[in-house]
Parts: sequence; structure tokens; C-alpha cells
Amino acid sequence: MERAHPDKKVLTARQAGLVGCKNCAEAWPIETQRCGRCGATLASRDPKSLQRVWAWWLAGVICYIPANTEPMLLTKTLFQDEASTIVGGAIDLFVYGDPGIAIIILLASVGIPVAKFICIAWLALSVQSRALTAPATRHVVYDVVEYIGRWSMIDVFVVAILSSLVQFSAVATIEPGPASLAFAFSVIFTMLSAQSFDSRRIWDSFEPVERAP
Amino acid sequence: MSEIPDLPVSNGRRSILERVSLVWLVPLAALLVSLWAAWQSYADRGPLVDILFEEATGIREGETELRFRDVTVGRVEDVGFSDTLEKVRVTVRLDPDIAGYVDGDAEFWIVQPEVSTRGVTGLDTVLSGVFIEAAWDSVPGGLVAEHVGVPRAPLLRSGEEGLSFRVTAGSGVQLIGGTPILHKGVEVGRIGPAELTADGTVARAEAIIYAPYDRLVSSNTRFWDTSGFTFSLGANGAELDFSSLATLIAGGVAFDTVVSGGSSVSDGADFTIFADEGAARASLFQNDGAPVLNLTAIFEDNFSGLTVGAPVLLDGVNVGEVTNLNGIVDEVRFGDANVRLSTSILLRTSKLGLAEASTEAALDFLEARVADGLRARLVSASILTGGLKVELVDVSNPALAALDRAGDPFAIIPVAPAEISDVSATAEGVMERINNLPIEELLEAATTFLTSANALASDEDIKAIPSDVRGLVADVRAVSGSEQVQALPGQASELLKEFEALTADLRRVVEKIEAANAVDRLLAAVDATTEAATGVGTSVEGVPALIERLNAVAAKAEALELQELVAELSEAVQSARLLLSDEGTRALPARLGDTLAELEAALTELRAGGAVDNLNSALASASAASAAVESAAADLPDVIRQLEHLAAETSAAVSGFGENSELNRSARAALRDVQDAARAIEKLAQTLERNPNSIILGR
Repeated sequence: MERAHPDKKVLTARQAGLVGCKNCAEAWPIETQRCGRCGATLASRDPKSLQRVWAWWLAGVICYIPANTEPMLLTKTLFQDEASTIVGGAIDLFVYGDPGIAIIILLASVGIPVAKFICIAWLALSVQSRALTAPATRHVVYDVVEYIGRWSMIDVFVVAILSSLVQFSAVATIEPGPASLAFAFSVIFTMLSAQSFDSRRIWDSFEPVERAP
Repeated sequence: MSEIPDLPVSNGRRSILERVSLVWLVPLAALLVSLWAAWQSYADRGPLVDILFEEATGIREGETELRFRDVTVGRVEDVGFSDTLEKVRVTVRLDPDIAGYVDGDAEFWIVQPEVSTRGVTGLDTVLSGVFIEAAWDSVPGGLVAEHVGVPRAPLLRSGEEGLSFRVTAGSGVQLIGGTPILHKGVEVGRIGPAELTADGTVARAEAIIYAPYDRLVSSNTRFWDTSGFTFSLGANGAELDFSSLATLIAGGVAFDTVVSGGSSVSDGADFTIFADEGAARASLFQNDGAPVLNLTAIFEDNFSGLTVGAPVLLDGVNVGEVTNLNGIVDEVRFGDANVRLSTSILLRTSKLGLAEASTEAALDFLEARVADGLRARLVSASILTGGLKVELVDVSNPALAALDRAGDPFAIIPVAPAEISDVSATAEGVMERINNLPIEELLEAATTFLTSANALASDEDIKAIPSDVRGLVADVRAVSGSEQVQALPGQASELLKEFEALTADLRRVVEKIEAANAVDRLLAAVDATTEAATGVGTSVEGVPALIERLNAVAAKAEALELQELVAELSEAVQSARLLLSDEGTRALPARLGDTLAELEAALTELRAGGAVDNLNSALASASAASAAVESAAADLPDVIRQLEHLAAETSAAVSGFGENSELNRSARAALRDVQDAARAIEKLAQTLERNPNSIILGR
């Protein structure tokens, strides 16, 4: 917060006439097309970044819908067949006296993905509208989103482990439901969405040139 | 600073492919896949049908399956209630490919575990939970959205063929749902759940006989109950009978087609289940399909013992049975408040022997008979059980009554007073009479009699009788069989010829009398003849003595006791033997022969010499001689009578010893011989008596 004060004037690399190589972090003059050290294409800002963010984000959201409506686990025991969705399973756990695990599952499968969607969308929107939220704050959000994204896969892991371990023929069988695949895709797409975000644009809102064309 | 605005410029140069990221294909693809999946699942979704059940035992939304031939073809989506909460509405999502078959004739029932005497069914539902089973035919008839579930599995499942009919429980039969129908021990069908008819009088049930056994059933088929067991104690010993352990526990119904030629049976036919095989078979011969006539008889007296099924007899022929019994109180109708016995009677018109077996004809017939005095009355069917039966009989001097054809519900036949023999009174009387029989005295008398008979039979004298009688018979036979006696008739005939010759000679002599004087000589001859006749008289003298002795014997026999009689008899027999063996007796025929010879000689003399002089005296002497012969002969009938008397006495005495004993037979034979001998003598005597001149005249 201290370092990201809105009133503080920030000099970006572009303002300084430089461009950084994203591969080897070598700084070059802004006109430079290719990195002289590693040969990567240099671009001060990725013009399709936001497009990719929104595309992956949308794909992630689309996949997230069946991930919640379709059953996640197909539990076949001697007495009954049970197909539970993510939220349904968590509620069952909560009802049957395991609120801790229920909360973890809810956090990992619902809370985090939903929060990620919101965060990514907010970041993207804030970049587009050059909102004046402290860039430092937005960067922290971005870091958190990118870091925490992989943990959303915890549900998929649980399903994968259970369905590979619990295969006792007629007595009890657990199989992944269609939601597990959709959920995995959703997580992957949101991770890709977060990675597609060009975090350098967070700071563009402080560029006076951009603000007054 | 000044280069910065270049960037937007360069943006404007780029083509749309360069400006739009390819990543957009990913959400597009995801969207397409999602939409396709959504559409697919929507398109694949079958229609919903509502099934109404009485109760939804164990049905769970989203889990309970609908199965057809044990293949899941749907799943329960919703369980609710019908509008008035009277039924449970189970909504089932059907597989789209079978939806067309779920038409109006589809049947649904809930399969749940069931433990019965016939075994355990639906065991798989214990683990998997209940499921709804469905059955429909193989002709798609368009989806019907609402069905009413049946309470239990139908007897004839889809794809099974068979004969479906209805059975009614006869008297004494307990219908049990699910009972197997057996034919020669093989299960060929099944009886559905039993239910009562609306009026509650009979139990009936649906029944099925599976193909191909359904062709075993015809209109002549009879069903009977094989459940339980029968125990009978009879002449063959104790008998415990049950067809199998399974039917003993679970019940069973068997059938047989006893008589061929019945018409084939279509679905929905009615059959009766009889209590046992005998009743089932008997019914086939009783019930010939002819119309039946129902009558009511109201008996004044209320006897116990009349039961439903009791026979109804008309002139001794079983023409029907009692179908119902009711007490009836009708003060207005009968004038008092007594309970009367209203009996419904079923008459088989075919048994009445009418030309036309119809109810009307039977009623007309009965009406005429009732006018002649036919009445219904209660009679004892069995003295021991006290059972009653109804008899239609002509009573003498009946009270005026008529068949009430307007009776409700049946025509009312007038009744006569009951004829019921009280079993206890009858039995008591019989026992009393038996008790009063003088059996002990009778036995005592019989014993005494036998003892006496034994003593008598073992008496030595009695034993001696046969031999004595045999001796007597032998003697009599000897007498009658002696040559002299046998020769007697021959001699007599010769004598008669001689007399003829003599007569002829006499004529000649008479002619010569005038010429020659032979009277003196004739007189002498007559004297000789007189002598000879006297000789005959003396020789016969022994006979009256014998007769006197026999008379004494007979008198004694009449007077004496049997034993003494026997002694006397044997004595008499011995005397008779003595007499018969007497020289004089034996000589009697010889003497007679001698006399005749002398007579002949005399006549020869007469012939030779002229005896005309002595003719008169000679004739007088001949007359005297004839009289002497006559008097001698006159004694003979007496002898014969005495002999006959003796024979009769002996016969009477002998016949007392038994009709057929050897002794008796011998004695009778002997007596017959004696009688024959006596008769022969009598004949001779009679001939002599009737015509004594025949000796002289030869005729």
C-alpha cells in the first residue's frame, strides 16, 4: 500500500523508452523488435492480452456451469447408487456431521474458482477502464489469483484418487462424474486466463499520455 | 515520448485475424460442446408417465427404477400425491425408445421382497431397494401419460400365454392367493388373490393355466382343493392322505378332465373348486347343465340336523339338495312369533324325469303333484348322526294346500309334519329288548338237552337197536324170500287151473252120477278134505299167538318209557325172529302145498272113481272146509294189522333217533320190507277173502 500510492508518480518502462524481454529480462530500446540476447519477440504491451484473458475466462465460466450441475462423483455401493454434485456433496457432508471437510470442499471448489472469475474479470475491466484503484493492490490480487489457481484442482484430485482407489466391484465403486472433467477444464481455463493477463498494463493507468489522447 | 502514438496506428493496419486472438475458439468450442451436450440430453430425455399407486412403499425419487423384463427402462423422478391425496403419484421418466409401448394396457406394480409359504420372492430388492416392474405387449400403441398401478404382479406376465378364468370356492374350500394349480403333480397354473363377491357369499379368484397346458381344460374339467390333509379311520385301517408337503403348507388346487367331449373354454370362464376329488368327480355326473328349480319350504318345527347340502328326495330319488337355511319370524304371515325354518331347495329338473327339462315344466309337474298330496317333510337321514334330509312324499289325507308360485324369492312348497326318529329312544329300545332276551335260561336248557341226548345216544341198548332191527329185517326178508312163499302164487295159479279142470271134471262127474253111485266115496274124500282143512287150521293156530304177543309189545311200547320200549322192542324182535324161525311157520306154506296136493289127490280120486253118491255130503263138507279156510284167512288181516301197527310203532320209535342217521335209514328200509311183506300177505288174504271160491272156481 505504501508503495502503490495513487498519488505517487510512476515512471513506466515505456515512458522511459525501454522494452523488457519477458524471457531473459534484458532491457532494450523500445523500437527493438527482437531481443538481442535470447531472440524472443519484444513487445512493450501485448495487444491481444485482454482478448485472451476474456476468451479463457469465458471458456472457464462455460465449463464451470456443468461442473456444478452435473454429478461429480458416482458412488455405487451394494445398496444404492448415488450421484452427487459438488455443492450437493458438500451439503451432505455438512449435514452428516463433517463441516470442516465440507467447508474445505466448498472453498476449493466453489469459493476459489468463483473468486478467481471475479478477480480476473475485475482486473481485466480495471485495465480496460483505467480505473484508479491502486495498481499495487491490483498486482497483489493478480499474484494471489495466479498462485492460488492451481489449488482449485484439489477437487479433481480427490475425485481422481477416490475413483482409482475405491473400486471394490459390486460392494462399492466410485467413478468420476461428468462434472469432474468440466471442472478440470474450468480450472485450466481460468489458470490460462490469469496467465494471459499482461500485468504490465496494471500500471498503464498512470500514464498521462494514455489518459489524454 | 513522441513515438508512443505509433502503436495505435500500427494496430489499425493489422488484419482481423491478427487483431482477434485465436484463443476465442476455445470458449466458442466449450460453448458449442455445452450446448450440444445440453441439447443432446434434452433430446434423449424420454417422456414422463404418471403411475398411481395405493402406496409408494420404498420408492425414492431419482433412484427407483422402472424395469421391463428386468431391464431398466426408466427412473422415478418424482413422488407426489394425486389431487385428493387418495393415491400416490409416481412420475417416471421413460426411455424414449420404449415410450411408444407404454400404451393403455401397460401394467405397473411394485416389486418388493416377499416371504410366503411358497418361498421368497424379490430377494434382489432387499439390497437394491424396490423397483417398479412393468409389463406391456409388443405392439406399440402410443404413449398414455397416466396409469393406475396394480397391487401385485399380474398372473399372466407379458409374453406369457395361457388361459385366464375365474374360480369360485365351493363349500369347505379355502381360497389362498398364489396357490399353484397342479395337474398330475406338475404346476401348470396359479390362482390369483382371492376376494369376496359383492354380496359376500362366495370367495372367488382369478386363475391362470399357462400354455400349453391350457388345452387340458374343457367345460368338463373340475377343480378340487388338495391343500391340507385328510385322516380317515376305516375298514382299511388308518389313512393319512395329503398330496405333497408343499401343498400341505401352501395349499394347492388340482384339476382333471374326467369325461371327454367337453367344449373348449375361453378366457373368463367360471369354475368351482370342490373340497375333494370325489366331490369334484361326482359333480360332473350330477350337474348336467339342465336348468335348476329353486323352491322354498317353510317347516313349522325347528329341528337341528338339517344342513346345507342335505339331499332332497322325490319318491326316493335324489333330485336336489338344500342350498340355504334360514330362521324366519313373520307374525303377520303365520299368526305367531315362532321361529320357522325357511329352507331353500334346489331341484335338478333333469332328475325329475320330465320330457322337457325346464323350470316351467318342473313347476307345472310339482303343482299337479302337490294338488295330489305331495308335501315336503323332514326325515332322518341317519339315526346315528341325527342328520336330516328333505323328502317330497305323497301324504295321505293332506291338509288342503297348493304350490305357491308367487313365493318370493322362490315358489313355496307346502310341508308335512316331520318324521324324525329319535336316535336315543330307538337305540334304547333295541338295547332293552336285547337285554331282556332269556339267553342264560336258553343256554342252560340247551346244555341239559345236549347232555341228555348225549347220554341217550351213548346208551348200549340204543346202540344195540340197529343190529336187532337189522336181524329182524333179515329174518323177514328170509321169510318173504323163501322159495315156498315165492312159489305160493305160482302154486295157487296151478291150483286154480286144477280147479278149472276139476270143475270140468265135476260136470262130467255130475253127468256120471246118475250112472254110478260114488257118493260114499265122495263123502270119504270130503272127510279127508275136512281133515286137511283142520290141519290147515291147526297150522295157523300159532299165528294168533304171535299176534297176541305183538299186541302186548305194542301195548307195552305205548305204555313204557322209551328205554323200556327199546328193550321190549328188541325182545319182540327176538320173539319175532324165533317165531319166524319156527319150523311150523316155515312149514306153513309147505303144508298149504300139501293140503292142496291132498285136495288134488281127492279130486283125482273123484275123477277116477264115481262119487256121485256122496255128492251132497261132499259138497257140504267142501263148504265147511271153505269156511274153515275162510276163518283161518280171516285171522290174517288181523295179523297184518298187528304187523303194520308194530311197524308203525317201530317206525315212530326209530324216527325219534334222527331223521338221517344210519340206524334210522336201515330201520326204515327194514320196516319198508316188513310192510311190503305184510302187504303181500294182505293181498293174498284179501284175494282169498274177497273170493274164496276162486280157489275152487279158479277165478
